[in-house]
Amino acid sequence: MQIGNTFMVKPNRVAASVFFLLAIIIAGCADGQNSDAVQPIVYSHYTHVEEGGAECLDCHQYAETQSAASIPNIKVCIDCHDEAISESEDEATLLMYISENKKIPWRQVYSVPDYVFFSHRRHVKLGQMECAVCHGDVGSLAVPVAEQYERITMEWCMDCHETSNVSNDCYACHR
Amino acid sequence: MAKWGMVIDLNKCTGCGECVTACKVELNVPVVGPEESAKGRTLLCMDILSTYEGEFPDVKMRTLPRPCFHCEHPPCIKVCPVRATYINDEGIVAQIYPQCIGCRYCQVACPYTVKYFNWTKPEWPEERGAALNPDVSVRPEGVVEKCTFCVHRLQKAKEQVAVEGRELREGDYVPACVESCPTKAMYFGDLDNPKHMVSQLKKSHRAFRLMEDLGTEPKVYYLSEVE
Repeated sequence: MQIGNTFMVKPNRVAASVFFLLAIIIAGCADGQNSDAVQPIVYSHYTHVEEGGAECLDCHQYAETQSAASIPNIKVCIDCHDEAISESEDEATLLMYISENKKIPWRQVYSVPDYVFFSHRRHVKLGQMECAVCHGDVGSLAVPVAEQYERITMEWCMDCHETSNVSNDCYACHR
Repeated sequence: MAKWGMVIDLNKCTGCGECVTACKVELNVPVVGPEESAKGRTLLCMDILSTYEGEFPDVKMRTLPRPCFHCEHPPCIKVCPVRATYINDEGIVAQIYPQCIGCRYCQVACPYTVKYFNWTKPEWPEERGAALNPDVSVRPEGVVEKCTFCVHRLQKAKEQVAVEGRELREGDYVPACVESCPTKAMYFGDLDNPKHMVSQLKKSHRAFRLMEDLGTEPKVYYLSEVE
């Protein structure tokens, strides 16, 4: 009876371990923090920043005044793209969004949990930090932002706070 | 470093409950409903304690608004096993919700019973809709909640004065309860700054603190009633 039992259990164990391994692999893939974020338009920061001479704040308008820097949408894009200014297919997609008055469903790559209160204003305006410290050299990216340049973790935030001699009180971010 | 504190003039307090409402709205404090409330699970970061004196028809009601006292020596922080509650440099007794494991030691340790455990998932009446304060997190179920002296307002005030390039003045930072009080019975400011109203009022002969013999040194003072 005992032998029978062990045989009965074994296939279950195999199945369980296979499932477990699969789970680890899937979790491992998903671990890159929104690494699968594919943007609806193949947006090139390079074209805008390096070739077009745009500044970060031209499009991410609220970085100096609000908590959220904002991801620009059609109302911002229309300022320059009221009509086609290139022969790019991606611009045609953008113009389609504009003509249909539909919001571009950008995927947010940089986000913090709801119990973390991050303020761009505090970092950009008051702390005089460069965007590149957290976001890297986005201007040279010819492909859409798909993953975080620096993985935004509490340890990483706290390290920077310590070296910059700003508050590491829990209340600085959690409340 | 500032030591934030409050003075409540009991002569001026009418017990209207405006501070309680303002607090509930400001800190996204859930409404638990009658069933949970009957079990003593009402969440009130600001409460009004009332006592009745005398026989009918000469009854006098005394009211005592009661926030967290942000003690200088808080008993609650000594029992927290995960440092979810601690006193910060400015004397505010913090409660870090994502760190809290909900053991409720601090709730028991607090002699003033100002800490509340949230037993249920946060809910609000439908009428309120999604009009929650975005500056304060909605706490998950199973953590201890408390008055924070509206610390998010302090951060916003600090941000604003830094942009304007000046020092923090009295009145730049006041908690929601103090701001809402219709009879101006509550004062708020830096207890160590002689220019602030609270540091003068705390020296008044009418000033007292609750359960002073415990040595907790609360930073909320009351001004006793004068007949």
